[in-house]
Amino acid sequence: MSENIEVNFRLNGENVTIRTKANRRLLDVLRDDFHLTGTKEGCSIGECGACTVIVDRKAVTSCLMLIGSCEGRDVITIEGVSSPDRLNPVQRAILEHQAIQCGFCTPGFVMSATALLMENPNPTYEEIKVALSGNLCRCTGYKQIIDAIYDAAQQANRADPAEWDRNIIPDSGGRPLPWQPLNKPEVCELSGGNENEEQS
Amino acid sequence: MESKARQEKNTEIGHRTPLYDAPLKASGVIRYVDDMKLPRMLYAKMVWSTVPHAIIKSIDTEEAEKMPGVRAVCTWKNCRQVSYNSCGEDIDKFLTERIFDQRVRFVGDRMAAVAADTLEIAEKAAKLIKVEYQELPFYLDAELAMKDDAFPIHAGGNVAETVCMNAGDVEKGWTEADHVLEYTYKLPAVHHGAMEPHTAIADYDASGKLTVYSPSQDIFGCRANLSRIFSLPMSKVRVVNPCIGGGFGGKIDAILEPIVAQLAMMTLRPVKMTLNRREEIISTRTRHAMTINLKTAFMNDGRIVAEQMTMIANAGAYSAGTSSVVWASGGKFFKKHKTPHLRFTGYPVFTNTPVAGAMRGFGSPQRCFAQERQMNRIAKKLNMSVLDLQLMNLVDIGDCDARNQVAHGRAFPKEAVLRGKVLFDWEENLREMKRSQEDNSRFRIGIGMAVGVHGNGVYGVMPDTSGIILKLNEDGSLTVFTGYSDMGNGTVTTQLQIISAVSGIPLNRIACVTADTETTMWDLGNYSSRGTFVGGNAALKAAEHLSDELKREAAEILNINADEIVLENGAAVWKDSRERFTTLADIALHAKSVNQRDICVSDTFASQNLALSYGAHFCKVSVDTETGIVKPLLFVAVHDLGKVINPMQTEGQIEGAIQMGLGYALSEALQINEEGKITNAILKKYKMFHAAEMPEIRIAYVENSEVGGPFGAKSIGECSAVPVAAAVANAVCNALDASIDRLPLTPDLVLEAIKFRGLSG
Repeated sequence: MSENIEVNFRLNGENVTIRTKANRRLLDVLRDDFHLTGTKEGCSIGECGACTVIVDRKAVTSCLMLIGSCEGRDVITIEGVSSPDRLNPVQRAILEHQAIQCGFCTPGFVMSATALLMENPNPTYEEIKVALSGNLCRCTGYKQIIDAIYDAAQQANRADPAEWDRNIIPDSGGRPLPWQPLNKPEVCELSGGNENEEQS
Repeated sequence: MESKARQEKNTEIGHRTPLYDAPLKASGVIRYVDDMKLPRMLYAKMVWSTVPHAIIKSIDTEEAEKMPGVRAVCTWKNCRQVSYNSCGEDIDKFLTERIFDQRVRFVGDRMAAVAADTLEIAEKAAKLIKVEYQELPFYLDAELAMKDDAFPIHAGGNVAETVCMNAGDVEKGWTEADHVLEYTYKLPAVHHGAMEPHTAIADYDASGKLTVYSPSQDIFGCRANLSRIFSLPMSKVRVVNPCIGGGFGGKIDAILEPIVAQLAMMTLRPVKMTLNRREEIISTRTRHAMTINLKTAFMNDGRIVAEQMTMIANAGAYSAGTSSVVWASGGKFFKKHKTPHLRFTGYPVFTNTPVAGAMRGFGSPQRCFAQERQMNRIAKKLNMSVLDLQLMNLVDIGDCDARNQVAHGRAFPKEAVLRGKVLFDWEENLREMKRSQEDNSRFRIGIGMAVGVHGNGVYGVMPDTSGIILKLNEDGSLTVFTGYSDMGNGTVTTQLQIISAVSGIPLNRIACVTADTETTMWDLGNYSSRGTFVGGNAALKAAEHLSDELKREAAEILNINADEIVLENGAAVWKDSRERFTTLADIALHAKSVNQRDICVSDTFASQNLALSYGAHFCKVSVDTETGIVKPLLFVAVHDLGKVINPMQTEGQIEGAIQMGLGYALSEALQINEEGKITNAILKKYKMFHAAEMPEIRIAYVENSEVGGPFGAKSIGECSAVPVAAAVANAVCNALDASIDRLPLTPDLVLEAIKFRGLSG
């Protein structure tokens, strides 16, 4: 039986303190104690990436990280990069490219991609493939996901690079996105219908 | 004709519309069952059998029950003893399963369950349960289990039934033909690999009503089973699917639902059970391991005159959907080639291995593997191009099933082959393959192809219906009630697109309630590739009905005839002048204030067409002759699917099927040791494809409207998964000029084939 310890860390931009057993997984603390259920459990051994969060700007599988080792760390979950009324650039690209089917792996992919773009705002297609290789998706063939991340990076780079990081991290202070935020009701008109002709 | 006119003017059909729930999914706020917590909810843990076949001599739960926080322990002694079939499609046959049985039939069979205040307590208590087995003979191999003197796993013996289908006279074919080839193919059991493991919550309330939250692909089948097991009227059983994290057939069966329901009834508290990945792999469902013998008679010019398939399907320990899988797979044996003489014999066989059930393709990937490996062999034997061989034998539009003269519908597999040939650059890649062979290089290039066929629902087998309710709200927005749940395959989005296209209500004004046995109309279930064909048609029918109602009201408001009204952009417009129109809000108001009625329509669509989808897949691989490692380089998929309603979803379905098929071909298989235990029940050892391993993918469509399809569309979900593994295997065999007749093509197997090259056919 492990002793209760006090852990102080930064969670989605806020300082938090929790008293809990040191041997609990970060994943369980996020889901059960903080009710941040966007982080999913798919395999419990760090193979599927569904539980990916960002710790100190690196993608980490939270099923392998114990809460005891989170002291003083900066943890960001999918909730930390999402806002209630609009999608961030990575999420928006994921939606536009149908890089999403059942959605269970999606938060993990968003976090892996976000960590990649924090470190390397202009990744090549190959670099994206490698960065996403810790995440399993059973629905797609990954192509739409890689396309989406590539597209998100390209669009961000076309805008002011200084804006990029701020748009992914939640405490952007309400600064505007480099391009029009997604208006949910217009969801069906995101892409031009012309592309359809090419398929036929 | 009317549909065609609509198709031209509407913006939704053929549009790259994102999934209706994509924003929720992308931001992680959508709630899957395991994300839900109910007040006073208990957590349950299962105890699994550790032996492959035994009678439970005694089971001691005393210590577990004494543990503080434990609220119920359930075993065969205190649960409902009703036999059932977990699969809704087969609910009336082969009732082999119980909640808990006194007998366990595979390692991973259910033995007991504990419900406790926390998961931690439940896990600890589960370990305190002591069991004494009286072990019985067991069989891991279907061919051994089906012997006459084998110990019966279920009353009635281990061969559940014999499935026979015939057309023409194969005996005549053997004598007529110039050549006869006969080979045996072996396919492994594989795991569905949906990222969300099985999970369920049951809540039994004071009024005697049972509510189950489950990511079920078949909520009505699940309700029927729960109603039978617990003797509850269906009005007292509600099954809701809030959101499903991938199914692929693995979530059709009622697996955890009866267990949590039993525990909830024992404790009168909500109970949740969520499996971990290891439990998911050993205890849920698998694709059938099969041994298929295929005998083919053909002429010198390549024409196949007779073919006979004998399929031994390993059902695992319980029946589940096995009977339907074998029947369905056998039926499609008659749908691909023009062959006049055909015979199919299938044996679903019980063994002491994990339960096999529906999995994307429903028996077809296995059958296709055998048939298409054989095609590759025939081409080689006759020294002709496999493409020419396909073109000679594939069905044409107007061709019929040789058994019963039922037409295949508008079938265009040949067009798929021809388009694929160009898109794949077959001739150039063929030259590259030959060059790598002539150079005797370490990395051999190989190309191969396969053609697959799949259905569109279960029409002809049982009534195939879907119901939809459309409710116009006071402001002219619409609420859709559909029995489908969206596994991610886009079925519900497709329905919404169709409703929007027909009724002219923009998608942003349409909301939907999905997959709830209490609020949505009956639906057969999310399987059998029926989403677009049946679900889409149901949406079309209800939307046309709604349009009539809207026009009737609008005609009164505008004082013109209903047939002069066009519905678009949330308004009813006079066709002669766009100036004369009324909005849907006004229509709703008019209906209420003048006619004192709601506008709400409900319709049931029953499929009346047997349509078939075809796909030609092409694969290019590089085989390392020193390590045996196969690297897929290029994959081309061309599909005959009638009409693409949403290109983005269609691409997603096909690419995902290729990913699954590549795993099936190259890396995935459940390894079962001699004691019946799965030795690779973790994702570190059970290898699914990840992003960096995927080849370049090119996709094209043959779009010729299917009669009876909504806007001419037919299915894609399963068809795209059928020929993948066969195409990969043919590419590997062609690269090495060798024959490998089993999956997966692991490095060891490839090296073995290289060693024996030239010694086999």
